[in-house]
Amino acid sequence: MFTRLLWKLLRASRGRLVVALVALVSGAAVISALLNLQFDIERKLTQEFRTLGANLVIAPAQEVQATGSGAYSAALMNQDAVFSQLEKARSLEVVAAAPYLYIVAQTKTRPVIVAGTWLDEATKLAPTWKITGSRVGSREDVMICLVGRNVAQQLKLAPKAQLELNYLGRTARLTVAGVVDAGGAEDNQVFVDLHVTQYLAGLTGQIGLVQLSINGTPKTITTYAQRLATALPDVEVRPIRQVTEAEGELLARIRLLIFSMVLLILVLTGLCVLATMAALAMERREDVGLMKALGGSISRIVGLFLAEVGVLGAVGGFAGCIAGVALSHWMGQRVFGTAISARWEIFALTVALMVGAALAGALPLRRLGNVKPAVIFRGE
Amino acid sequence: MFARLVGESFVRNPRRKILTAAALVVGMAVATATLTVALDVGDRLAREFRSLGANLLVTPESDTLPLEIGGVDYRPVDEGAYLDEASLGKLKTIFWRHNILGFTPLLDVPAVVSADGLKLNTTLVGTWYEHAVLVPDGTKFKTGTGATHPWWKVQGRWFHDDAHECVVGAALAATHPSVFGVGKTINIAKSESEGQTLSLLVTGIVSTGDAEDKAVLAPLSMAQNLSRRPGKIRQLFVSALTKPADSLSERDPKTLSAKDYDRWFCSPYISSISFQIRQVLPGTDVRAIRRVADTEGRILSRIGLLLWIVTLAALAGAALAVAATAATTVLERRDEIGIMKAIGATNSTVAGIFLAEQVLLALIGGAIGFCAGVGLAWILGESVFGTPSSLRVVLLPVVLGLAAIIAILGSLIPLRHAAHFQPAPILRGE
Repeated sequence: MFTRLLWKLLRASRGRLVVALVALVSGAAVISALLNLQFDIERKLTQEFRTLGANLVIAPAQEVQATGSGAYSAALMNQDAVFSQLEKARSLEVVAAAPYLYIVAQTKTRPVIVAGTWLDEATKLAPTWKITGSRVGSREDVMICLVGRNVAQQLKLAPKAQLELNYLGRTARLTVAGVVDAGGAEDNQVFVDLHVTQYLAGLTGQIGLVQLSINGTPKTITTYAQRLATALPDVEVRPIRQVTEAEGELLARIRLLIFSMVLLILVLTGLCVLATMAALAMERREDVGLMKALGGSISRIVGLFLAEVGVLGAVGGFAGCIAGVALSHWMGQRVFGTAISARWEIFALTVALMVGAALAGALPLRRLGNVKPAVIFRGE
Repeated sequence: MFARLVGESFVRNPRRKILTAAALVVGMAVATATLTVALDVGDRLAREFRSLGANLLVTPESDTLPLEIGGVDYRPVDEGAYLDEASLGKLKTIFWRHNILGFTPLLDVPAVVSADGLKLNTTLVGTWYEHAVLVPDGTKFKTGTGATHPWWKVQGRWFHDDAHECVVGAALAATHPSVFGVGKTINIAKSESEGQTLSLLVTGIVSTGDAEDKAVLAPLSMAQNLSRRPGKIRQLFVSALTKPADSLSERDPKTLSAKDYDRWFCSPYISSISFQIRQVLPGTDVRAIRRVADTEGRILSRIGLLLWIVTLAALAGAALAVAATAATTVLERRDEIGIMKAIGATNSTVAGIFLAEQVLLALIGGAIGFCAGVGLAWILGESVFGTPSSLRVVLLPVVLGLAAIIAILGSLIPLRHAAHFQPAPILRGE
C-alpha cells in the first residue's frame, strides 16, 4: 500500500518532479565535481610545483675547508653507499634523483665547470630546461654531453659538435647532444655522465652530492628527509629552503582559496536544492488534506511524502554524481592536463547530502499536522 | 494600470516574493564574491609567488664563464666583467617600474678569513639588506635581500649598510662556532699574502639552504673595498611582478607588428620587463630565472582558469536557485492567472506582468546580493591573502544584469506553460 501510494505520487506529478530532479541532478553534479576537485587539488598542485626542480639535497656532512691552493677539495660521498640506501627508501614520491660530481676541467681555450651526473635523471629534475638538440633518455651512451647556453656561446658549440675536456692529464672526447637553456647557473656548465667526471678526476665511485625532487606537501618532504637522514647517518640531508618554504606557503594559500570558494558554492547549491524541495512539498498541501480527510494519520502521511522526496533525492543525487565525475574529469583535463580521479566516498557523501537537503526541504510538511482538511479544501 | 498591478502584487503578498528574493540574494552574493576573487586573484597570487624570490638575473654581457661550485668562484679575481652600482636606480624608471618589487646586487670576492689564529678560505659576498637606492627622479627606493631572497633567515640581525659588519653563513659558522659567534670580530683579506684586511663585526648567522651558507655576507661597499672595485657589482637579482606567458609573449618581439609590439611592451610579461631593463642597463644580459618564472606562470594560469570554472559553477548554481523559485511562483499563482485570463487579459499581458515583477525582484535581490557579496569577498580576501579584496563597482551592473537575465529565463518556461492555462478549469479548482 505504502509503496503503491509512493509510486502513484511520483507518477502523478511528473512535470513538477522534473523541475525538482533537474535541480537535484545539477546540484549534485556541481557539488561532487567541486568536492572531487577539492580533494585532488593538493596532489595536482604539488605536481605542478615540481617544475621548481630539486627540493632535497644529500651532501657530505663535513665540508673540508682547505687554505691556500684553489684546487677543488670538497668532501665526497661513496656513491654505492648512498644509492643503496636511497633505493631502499625509494617511494612513489621520488620524482627524480641524480648524483653530481663537479670538476673544473680545461677545454682548448678556457676552463669550464663540468657536472658529472646521470643525464636522464638530471633533465627530469629540471623540467623547465629548454634543450635544443636531442634529449637524453638513457644512461647507456656515456660519451655524450649537454652544454649550457653560455658555454655553447663562448666555445661556439652546437649539437653534434666535439668537445674535449682535460683534467689532471686525463682527456675525454665527447659529442654534444644538446644545448641547455636553463635560465640559471646551469647555463655556465657542461653536463656529462657521472663516469666521465669520475674517470677524469680519478675518483671512481665517489660523488659530491645528490639532488632529489620529491612530490608532496612540505610535510611529506620533511618526513622523507628525516627517514633518509636516519638511513644515512654519515651525510647531511637538507631540504632546499627556497623551494620548500615558498611552496608550502603558496600551497596553503591556494588550498584555502579553492576551499572557501568551494564551500560557498556548496552552501549555495545546497540552499537551492532545499528551496526547490520546499516549494515542491508545499504544493502537496491539498493531497495532505485529502489523505487526512480519508482518515490517514499525520505521521503516516508525512512519512509518505518524506519517502517521496527521499527517493527523489537519492535518484537525483546518484545521477548528479555521475555527471559530476564527468565534470571533474573534464575540469582536470582542461586545467591540469590530467584527469581528476573520482573518489567513492564523495559519491556517498553527495547522495547523502542530496537526500538530506530534500528531506529538510520537505520537513515543513509536518506543520500540516494541525491543518484542518476542510480549510484546505475550501482553498483558504 | 500595469504598474499598479505589479505594485499591488508586491504589497498584497510580500511573503510569496521572499523565497525568490532570497534565492536571488544568495545566488548573486556568491556570484559577486567569486567574480571579485577571480578578477584579482592573478595579481594577488603573483605577489604571493614573490616568496620564491628573484625571477630575473642581470649579468654583464661580456662576462667570462663563471666557475662557481658550491659558492666558491674558481675564476681569477681580475677576470670577468662587472656592472655599475650607480646605474641601478634606473631600474625604477622603466615602464613597468611599479612591478619591480626589489633588486639585490651581488659581488663575491674569494677571501681569507682569519680570527683567533685560524685561517680559512671562503667567499665574501657583498650585498644589500635594506639599502636606499637613489632613483633618478630624486626619490629613494629601499630594497635588498629581503625582497629577492625572502627565505634567507638570519639569527641575530642583519648588518647595517656601510657599517663594518657582516653575517656568517650557517655551514661556515658551524665549523668553528667559537670563532663565528654573534658579537665576535673577524678579519678578512683578499688573499693570505695581502696586507690589507677588513675587520668585520659578526651580527648574525644566516641560513640560506644554498651555497651562501658557506660564505660571509657583508655590505656591498665592504666587498668593493676588499676587491678594489669601487662601485662595481657582479650580478643583480631582480624580483618583478609578471603576467603568465601566453601566445603573444612566446613570440619574438622583433617579428611583432607595431600594434602587437605595443601590446607586448605594455604588458608585464617577463620578456618585456627584461627587455626594458636591458634598455636602461646597456651592455647587460637579462635572463629570466626559468625555474621560478616558468613555475609561477604555469601555476598562475592554471589557478586562474580553475577559478573561472568555479565562478561559472557559482553562476550556474545561482541561476538554478533563481530559476527553480521563479518556476514555482508561476505555478503557485495559477488561480490569479486564471482570473486575469477570464476577465480578458491576453497571454502577453500576463507574461508582461510576471516578467516585470521578476525583473523588479531581480534588481532588488541583485542589489542586496551585491552588497552581501562584496562583504563575502572582503572576508575571503582577508582570510586567504591577509588583505581584503578591493571593491569593484563595475561588477554592480554586471551582477544586476545577470540577476535580471536569470530571473527572466527562469520564468519563461513556466510562463509558456501558463499560456496554455484554460481559465475555466482553473477557476473550478481542477
